[in-house]
Amino acid sequence: MVQKELRIATDIRTEFGKGAARRIRRADKIPAVLYGHGTEPVHLTLPGHEMMMALKHSNAILTLEIEGEDQLALAKDVQRHIIKPFIEHVDLVIVRRGEKVTVDVPIHLEGEAAPGTSVYVENNEITIEADAMNIPESFTVSIEGLEVGSQILAKDVPLPTGVDLAVDEELLIVNVTEERLAEIPEDEETEAAEGETAEDQEKSADTED
Amino acid sequence: MLIPRRVKHRKQHHPKRGGMSKGGNTVAFGDFGIQALEPAYVTNRQIEAARIAMTRYMKRGGKVWINIYPDRPLTKKPAETRMGSGKGSPEWWIANVKPGRVMFELSGVSEEVAREALRLAMHKLPMKCRFIAREGGDF
Repeated sequence: MVQKELRIATDIRTEFGKGAARRIRRADKIPAVLYGHGTEPVHLTLPGHEMMMALKHSNAILTLEIEGEDQLALAKDVQRHIIKPFIEHVDLVIVRRGEKVTVDVPIHLEGEAAPGTSVYVENNEITIEADAMNIPESFTVSIEGLEVGSQILAKDVPLPTGVDLAVDEELLIVNVTEERLAEIPEDEETEAAEGETAEDQEKSADTED
Repeated sequence: MLIPRRVKHRKQHHPKRGGMSKGGNTVAFGDFGIQALEPAYVTNRQIEAARIAMTRYMKRGGKVWINIYPDRPLTKKPAETRMGSGKGSPEWWIANVKPGRVMFELSGVSEEVAREALRLAMHKLPMKCRFIAREGGDF
């Protein structure tokens, strides 16, 4: 699945520092910087909501309108607020048509493994090298009917033509293991006993300064 | 229960409560997690209670990660003791959790099971928390 073009109107940023950045954020906009290909960094202001929607696509190629000119860019780093749902800053890197870029693409699983198994995703993303204008949004791997001991490696992920792996072929993506019961204490007495033991350990563990 | 095997100083000052979590703010290992929304001292007993609550609900399957460790001792003076005469004795082991920290993670279960397991675990914790899923994940 290849993404469609996303067009974003931008303004050049003239004032800098945390005061200016906070003013921009209060106006529901995002401070950003654009760089790459040996050019001087350009400081931009991006529309908050449009940018947030655009960044819902992984590795979205953005067409930025900068002073009447179009510029293709890829979001290199997105700083989000830890708790609140807004973007604090975006680093954009310039890309050119026909250029190969190295990006991380998420992997999605489909299907159900065999009964009595647990499926563990060891790597959620895979690094690939692809044409900047044809970056796949995600890869889908089928785990239908996989038995205990089955593994899916990076080389097993179906890649479209023109896309190359940029990681070790043997990188483990999915591991199917035997389902095991969670460790649950048998009754409350056991828990209390554990608590006492831990307290005893606490006293003995306290070494003098 | 989680407890340090050996510590350099038996009695420490209270850890700082201010600020936001600097790292560990995203679901890194599993598919779902519990994120702290307020600062709090989480004791080893609370961590264990939360772990038991979620594993008990999940019954089989699933993997749990605990991303916080109670490495700070808190002291307490005995009841009806006059002030002075030195610092009290170590009473609790706590993890200093700041807003944004992903404390527990889960994988290998469906979203419905994970939501309920983590909801039960959240009730064992001393601060407001929320359920979060991995960014760009299947859910």
